[in-house]
Amino acid sequence: MMLENMQVAGGAAGNYLLGLIYRYTGRRHSSVEHFRMVLLLDPLFWEAYEELCMLGVAEEASSVFGEVALQRIQETYLGQTSSFSQRTIVNEFSDSDKTLKDSKLRHNEHFLGNGQQSVTLDSSKQLENSSQTNNSDWNTPSPVPPQVPDVAPPQLRKNLRAPAGEKMVPERLYPETRPRRSARIAARRKINMSQSSGSDADCLHASSSESNSATSLSSMIEKCRIESSKEGFCSRPVATSNHTATTSGQTISGTGNSVDDEENSRLTGFESGPSSIIFGISEVLNLLRLLGECHRHLLMYNCEDALFAYEKLSEKQYNTQWVLSQVGKAYFQLQDYFKADSVFLLAHQMYPYALEGMDIYSTVLYHLKEEMRLGYLAQELLSIDRLAPESWCALGNCYSLQKDHEAALKIFHRAIRLNQRFAYAHTLCGHEFAALEEYGDAERCYRKALDVDERHYNAWHGLGMIYLRQEKFEFAQHHFQRALRINPRSSVIMCYNGIALHESKRSDEALETLDQASISDSRNPLPIYYKANVLVGLGKYEEAAKVLEELKDCVPHESSVHGLLGKIYVHMKLYDKAVFHFGIALDLNPSAIDAVHIKACMERLIAPEELEDYI
Amino acid sequence: MATESSESEEEGKIRGGNDKLIVDEDLREMGKNAAWSVSSCKPGNGVSALRDDNLETYWQSDGLQPHLVNIQFQKKVKLQLVVMYIDFKLDESYTPSKISIRAGDGFHNLKEIKNIELVKPTGWVHISLSGADPRETFVNTFMLQIAVSSNHLNGRDSHIRQIKVYGPRPNPIPCQPFQFTSMEFITYSTVR
Repeated sequence: MMLENMQVAGGAAGNYLLGLIYRYTGRRHSSVEHFRMVLLLDPLFWEAYEELCMLGVAEEASSVFGEVALQRIQETYLGQTSSFSQRTIVNEFSDSDKTLKDSKLRHNEHFLGNGQQSVTLDSSKQLENSSQTNNSDWNTPSPVPPQVPDVAPPQLRKNLRAPAGEKMVPERLYPETRPRRSARIAARRKINMSQSSGSDADCLHASSSESNSATSLSSMIEKCRIESSKEGFCSRPVATSNHTATTSGQTISGTGNSVDDEENSRLTGFESGPSSIIFGISEVLNLLRLLGECHRHLLMYNCEDALFAYEKLSEKQYNTQWVLSQVGKAYFQLQDYFKADSVFLLAHQMYPYALEGMDIYSTVLYHLKEEMRLGYLAQELLSIDRLAPESWCALGNCYSLQKDHEAALKIFHRAIRLNQRFAYAHTLCGHEFAALEEYGDAERCYRKALDVDERHYNAWHGLGMIYLRQEKFEFAQHHFQRALRINPRSSVIMCYNGIALHESKRSDEALETLDQASISDSRNPLPIYYKANVLVGLGKYEEAAKVLEELKDCVPHESSVHGLLGKIYVHMKLYDKAVFHFGIALDLNPSAIDAVHIKACMERLIAPEELEDYI
Repeated sequence: MATESSESEEEGKIRGGNDKLIVDEDLREMGKNAAWSVSSCKPGNGVSALRDDNLETYWQSDGLQPHLVNIQFQKKVKLQLVVMYIDFKLDESYTPSKISIRAGDGFHNLKEIKNIELVKPTGWVHISLSGADPRETFVNTFMLQIAVSSNHLNGRDSHIRQIKVYGPRPNPIPCQPFQFTSMEFITYSTVR
């Protein structure tokens, strides 16, 4: 479809919706085109940039949120007053549409089979409502001085879900609150602040943070007293901080409030004018640029770059739930589970009601084998929101840690029922089936996860593992390769790639891959171990022994290292050393099968003639 | 608690039984991958009662002794433990007394590996398949046969309420000679 020939209704928001539809139906190329169009039409459309990151084709944030964007937004905001009303309606239309879509898509997709259809129908209905309410609030004079938003726009979207439990029910049962919220968010974007204050008051009750609402209410009242000479002026840039404080509920806790008051007092006498607007716009774009760059790096799995970029954010921005959970995800991808744990813990403590990223946190705790904390987290999350797939993922991880795979499976199925498009739940289901050795079902689950999100490298990895267990080594290798294409830095996947290559008799490539793995992550001891294994398979016992001797000093408590060393020395006929290492291996508590195996090897050493038959 | 008296090397007597099924963490149940069959059964009390996780239902044999329960796997598996739920108080003369466990490749070459006598069992009875030698912790076999040669009070037919077969957990990481024990190795060994 040629975009030049097609004018999509609804402007940026319409294109966004189309992009989502194309993405969900698997037409990637068209969806990318539409998302790019969204960013051309409205450079402040963060969600579109996120979608592009998820698809893996985002351009650099500095180009998207750069000079061109600045020009464009300036044009939009500093446009003639004659086109004001027309544009405001169009923009509100698009904004409310977008935010409606956000909340709808997140909550209602699993309710509605053909989500996209109903969204457009519903949102068009709601838009009529919203425009009516907007019009009624139009003339309420309570302009807010233009301010720099200190809070990143992304949090606003997240926070539609943030104060989960009590807020979710009103959303579904009382759809009329949505137009008001959308109107509030529209005002965040620009134009008539007057609606916002009206709707803010309405929506304040929905915000679960009472302190925020109280403060914002007072600052709202304060602002109402301030008459703006240019009340009808269309170009109020973006959000005022009190505004965002209300909308973002939890995420801006103490710090947010103090900023409000500061900024309000500072800007009480502020003259609205083109310069302030430009200043506002450029600040917003700066922030978006930073966040965009971080996010792009994260989703391209350049985790170190992402972490470095996140460090550049101001402290206030950094200590928000969204940013902290992204940082946690970055550490998780780097397999640095301790740091990830501390970051997620901070995020969770500061914003206990925000569930995004908590599924990754539960996986971190699973890796660290912290049963109690994981159980506690799961209980907490479920008590906050029983209908969020993240809570059920956490509980499922808890059961899986206790090796109760069937229960974990049931729970992950529940998570899937809550949100069919939650790729991670599908992957976790696949892992459980694999643990139960039901490889057909596991494969099905992983492929479903890949349907939802083709760049979900965990699912590719899971598929590779299944084929490895079934000894279909070429398939396994292909899937590990795909996973590596998406996340080229993961040393674990590189290791498995190496194993698959070795088993497919491509041992030279295997050794290369394993070397790469140990370079890419120096803390990972496994590539060296696997390399020794490969060398043993090739018969190069001296090299293998050398490699393992170094390794055993790095990881002194690993019985498999000593077990393998013992076997190597048996091959090299150095029986004393072999017995020595077998002894250490047995002392280090190997598993039952290994203990038997090692003991058997030791016994055979007493009768060397039988050795060749046994090993 | 299950106790064994060591009167002879081949025969052990097991008294009592556990109410709750408690098995080591590093064992996993292997019965799902096997084909179960019995030598004879009364209609309504067939082989499925042995695997239904319901202690109210039982298998009742209907022929000549020894009554056989055959468990056949598709490939050679390592087995370590057999656990059966047998209750003298409920079944009285139907309660098995002498049980022989045989293993082999098929019906033609089964060899007895364990022979035990139950004395008034009252719950889950653990029968370990390990030999004295550490090399014989597991039995590596295609088929297991549980033969009931006599019952308490000389009953003809037997009731068994549930049978579970356990073996060691396989290596979570495929194609490796040994399993990992240290945190460092385990942390880097999987992507979840």
